[in-house]
Amino acid sequence: MELGSSDKTKATFSLADEDHTLANSVRFALNQDPRVTFCGYSIPHPSDARVNIRVQTTGDPAKEVLKDALQDLMGMSQHVRATFDKAVVDFKTSEPVKP
Amino acid sequence: MAQISYQRFPKVKIREMKDDYLKFELRETDASMANALRRVMLAEVPTIAIDLVEIEMNSSVLNDEFIAHRLGLIPLTSSRAMGMRFSRDCDSCDGDGQCEFCSVEFHLHVRCDSDQTLDVTSHDLVSSDPSVVPVDVVERSDSSDQRGITIVKLRQGQELRLRAIARKGIGKDHAKWSPAATVTFMYEPDIHINEDLMETLTLDEKREWIESSPTKVFGLDPDTQQVVVIDPEAYAYDDEVIKKAEAMGKPGMIEIYAKEDSFLFTVESTGAIKASQLFINAIEVFKQKLDAARLSGDTEEADDQFGELGAHMRGG
Repeated sequence: MELGSSDKTKATFSLADEDHTLANSVRFALNQDPRVTFCGYSIPHPSDARVNIRVQTTGDPAKEVLKDALQDLMGMSQHVRATFDKAVVDFKTSEPVKP
Repeated sequence: MAQISYQRFPKVKIREMKDDYLKFELRETDASMANALRRVMLAEVPTIAIDLVEIEMNSSVLNDEFIAHRLGLIPLTSSRAMGMRFSRDCDSCDGDGQCEFCSVEFHLHVRCDSDQTLDVTSHDLVSSDPSVVPVDVVERSDSSDQRGITIVKLRQGQELRLRAIARKGIGKDHAKWSPAATVTFMYEPDIHINEDLMETLTLDEKREWIESSPTKVFGLDPDTQQVVVIDPEAYAYDDEVIKKAEAMGKPGMIEIYAKEDSFLFTVESTGAIKASQLFINAIEVFKQKLDAARLSGDTEEADDQFGELGAHMRGG
């Protein structure tokens, strides 16, 4: 998955069976991280379900930064889920169910 | 090396919620996240749909594959889907993908004996699992108006007899497995009226300007005769009011921005899964994808596999 074993701060990760759904969110999460100098994703061919994510950092290994970004997205998704569940409960209690 | 997490904490507020329709606000997150959830809801939340049809007898006017195609499109209640296995991953059946863990069996046997045309509908499908039935069967509630989804019509003497296997799948493979009728989100608009410029208009001009909007966004306050915003979310991001203001010679009278981190979602489900459950399942599926990506990053592959791509990415 890594390109060039000498310099760990720059790497291209190729994810199979993925598309814009995951790649765009990961790209956004990476951009939030101040350690990242460059990040982007490309889809080499639309018929091929494969995404290449390029990460360049200020010094940390790119793999760690990518992992942290994925972790952040997990946390955000979990938070959305918990918030949504709570919102459903609030909605149900504030509006009595009509038959 | 502990890093400060720049994770944002989104907020959710539900506007409207019915069994198959859900409207809610999602704030403080990015468009990429909102779009990812929309894409997952449409294409990657699993449901159950008829996938294999064995036709024993068909003397109707529609041919076998036509009827099989129509059967596949019937939405089935899929609350079991998230816990089920995909047929291809199931190890408890003999490999034909028809065991009780990975599939649900349906039977249909209808023969028309009267001289009236007989409608074969989804109500005639008999399921082996009472939790997986055609969506409209659940809503019956003793009203005989609900005739079910028409599959085929039979004349006197015509018969249809078949056995169908329903399996778990995702919308990406075939649209019959998509649980969402439609999922949309819009940016929340931020409308600013320049009151000084607005005051220079006569009452008739104000009315004309309000009328120029295709949707009822603005109105005239009956007491103060001022232009007020009645329904900001009715704004469809057509720039009609802005163009009208410019045409009247008052550019800058109205400013409308789209708030970049505030989304209004509308989720309509086919009935296979409840709309609120659909959103929750979408988040679960999204988390599974993130997990898979995180874990696959642990394997390192040879650099030579990247040869040409490496050169391309390095700009060589």
